[in-house]
Amino acid sequence: MTSSRSPLARIGKTVQILLLLLYAVFALFPLLWMFIMSIKPDSQMLTTTFIFTPTLENYATVLHSDYMQFFWNNLIVSVAAVLVSLVVGVPAAYALARFQFKLKEDIAFTILSFRFAPEILVILPLYLIYQRLGLYDTYFGLIWVYQLITLPLLIWILRGFFEDISPDIEAAAQLDGYTWWQVFLQVLLPLVKPGLVAAGLLCFIFAWNSFTFPLLLSNNVQTSTVIALRYLASDTVHYGQVAAAAAISALPEVILALLIQKHLVRGLSFGAVKG
Amino acid sequence: MASIHLSGLTKFYGKRRGVEDVSLEVADQEFLTVFGPAGAGKTTTLNLIAGIVTPDGGSIRIGEKTVDALEPADRNVAMVFESYALYPQFTVYQNMAFPLRSPKHRLPTAEVEQRVRHFATMLKIDHLLDRPIQALSNGQRQRTALGRALVRRPDVFLMDEPLSHLDAKLRHSMRAELKEMRGQLGTTTIYVTHDYLEAMSLGDRVAVINQGRILQVGRPEEVYFRPATVEVAQLFGDPEINLVEAKIRGRQASSVRVHALGEEWSFPITPEIGSALDKLTGDSVRLGFRPVDVEVGANGKSSLHGVVYSFEPLGTKSVLTIDSVAGQRIRALVDGRRTFQVDRRIEFGVPGSSVIFFDPESTRYLVRSTRTEGDD
Repeated sequence: MTSSRSPLARIGKTVQILLLLLYAVFALFPLLWMFIMSIKPDSQMLTTTFIFTPTLENYATVLHSDYMQFFWNNLIVSVAAVLVSLVVGVPAAYALARFQFKLKEDIAFTILSFRFAPEILVILPLYLIYQRLGLYDTYFGLIWVYQLITLPLLIWILRGFFEDISPDIEAAAQLDGYTWWQVFLQVLLPLVKPGLVAAGLLCFIFAWNSFTFPLLLSNNVQTSTVIALRYLASDTVHYGQVAAAAAISALPEVILALLIQKHLVRGLSFGAVKG
Repeated sequence: MASIHLSGLTKFYGKRRGVEDVSLEVADQEFLTVFGPAGAGKTTTLNLIAGIVTPDGGSIRIGEKTVDALEPADRNVAMVFESYALYPQFTVYQNMAFPLRSPKHRLPTAEVEQRVRHFATMLKIDHLLDRPIQALSNGQRQRTALGRALVRRPDVFLMDEPLSHLDAKLRHSMRAELKEMRGQLGTTTIYVTHDYLEAMSLGDRVAVINQGRILQVGRPEEVYFRPATVEVAQLFGDPEINLVEAKIRGRQASSVRVHALGEEWSFPITPEIGSALDKLTGDSVRLGFRPVDVEVGANGKSSLHGVVYSFEPLGTKSVLTIDSVAGQRIRALVDGRRTFQVDRRIEFGVPGSSVIFFDPESTRYLVRSTRTEGDD
C-alpha cells in the first residue's frame, strides 16, 4: 500500500513545501528589504541592491537621536490603550454574548461601525473637540482616541469566545458554591484566554501602527510612527535612517507575536471554527 | 436532607410560557421524577429551584427555608445538567473537586481527595481521574458530572435528563445503577426526563408536566393505570394508548353495550364503573386502552373486526396496526412469535378490565376497573 502511494504523496508534500516557501519569501520580503536598507550607507542606497558595505551607522544615528523618546511614547500609549480596552471590552463582550436586552444587535453593530469610518474623515471634528477639551497633545487624549481602533476589535473577537461557552457551565459553577465574580475569574477567563491573547495582540499592533491620530491630535507627545517621517525632509532623504527607525519600531510587535505565537494560532482559529 | 415545596411557580420567557402555577411537594428523601415532552417546562422548573432562573411569581421552600431571595450558591442544591456542563479546562479530578474547593463548601485537601476518590470509585471512573474532559466518552462525562454533584452532600439533587445523550444500552445500565445509588444516598432528588420508562422505573412518584403545567402527580402505577387526563395517558406508553369515541347503547348491572369503531360491542363492568357512567350527562364517552391489552384473534363476545394495516416485529413483541371498521387505526402489541400478513382480515377484542373511561368534554379521567391492579 505504501509503495503505490508514497511517490505521489512525496511529490505532493514537496510541492506543498515549495509553495509555502514561496509564500514565506513573498510575505517576509518587505521585512528583509527594510533590514537591508537599514544597514546600507546612504551613498549606496540607490546604486546597488545586494552588494554594498554594511554599516550600523544608521542605527547609531537613530538611537542617539531623540527617536527613542518617541518610541517610549508609542509604547506607553499603545499598551495603555490595550489595557483600557481589556478592562472595558471584556465585560462588554460578555454582556453582548450573554444577556438579552433591547437594541443589543444595534449596539454591537454600532461598536463595530467605529472601525468602518476612515480616520481621516473624523479627524477634523475630533481635532476641534480635543483642542477645546484640552486633550490635544496629551497621553490621555491619544489613549482615548485609540479606543476607536482597539475596542471594537476586542469586543467582537471576545464576544464569539463567550458565546461558545455554555451558560450551563456558569450556572454549574455558581451551584458549586462560587459567586459570580469568582466564576468569571476562575472559570470563564481561562476559557477565553486564547481569544484574549489574540485580540490583545491585534489591538496592540493596530494601536502601535496608528498614524493619522497621533499625527493630527498630538505634537510634543508624539509617537514613533509619525516621527519616522522626519528623516524624509524636502531636501534630503535618509532612507537608511528611515529603515533603521522602522526596524526598531517593528521590534516590539515581532517579539510579542513570537512570545504568544502558540496562543495566537489557537485563538484565531478556535473562535472561527467553533463560532 | 430536606423536603421541597413549590407553590404557584410561574415563569414566562417574553410571551412564551415556561411554567405556570406549578405547585409541588417533594418529601424528604423522596425521588421524584418530572416527566414531559420536549419544551414542557421541565428544565425551567429545575432552573427555578436551583436559582439559575428567577421566577415571575410563586415561592420555593427547601426544608424550612424560603430560598426565593437566595443566590444559587446559597441554596445548597447540586445539579446535573443535560449538557453535563463540565469545566473543559480541568481534569476529571479537578472537576469533581471544584465544589469542595469553593469558598462555600471548602474542605481540607485530604478530605477533598478522600471524597473524590470515594465517589469516583462508586461511579467507576477512579481510573480516569487525571484525564482531561475532552478525552472522555459521553458515558464517562456523564459520570463525572454526577460525581461533581455527589461529592457535596447537598440538601437536594436536581438532575436534568442526565441519561438522554447516552446510547440505549448504556442508558439502560446507567438507569439501573442510578436506581441502586439512590438507595445508598437517600437525598431528596428531582429527576427530569422525557423518557416515560425512566420516569416510572426511577421515581417514587412521577410528576407529569406539559406546556408549563403540571397534569398529574402520583406513584408510577397510578399515573400509568389511572391517568388524570387523556394527555397523560398519551404521554405514557409506547406504542401510544388507543383512544376511541364511544356511544353508550345500553347498560345492564354488570355489562355495558357501546357503539365504537363502527361496531356495537359490549364488555363487563364493575359496579364502580356503573355508578360513574350513571353520572355522565350525555351518552358519549371516550375509551382508552393500551396496545398491550388488545387481544388479537380473540373469539370472545366483544370481538371487533378489522384489517391488518401494518406489522412491525420488534423481537419479543410486535406492533400491529389494525384498520377498524370505522377506519380508525388501532395499535396492538402482540407476542413476537406470531406473524400477521398485511391486509389480512382479523378479529380483535378489548377486555373490559383494561378500558379506561374519560370524559369526552373535559378529557378527564372518569373510572376504570380495579381488577388489573392487585394492591388497591
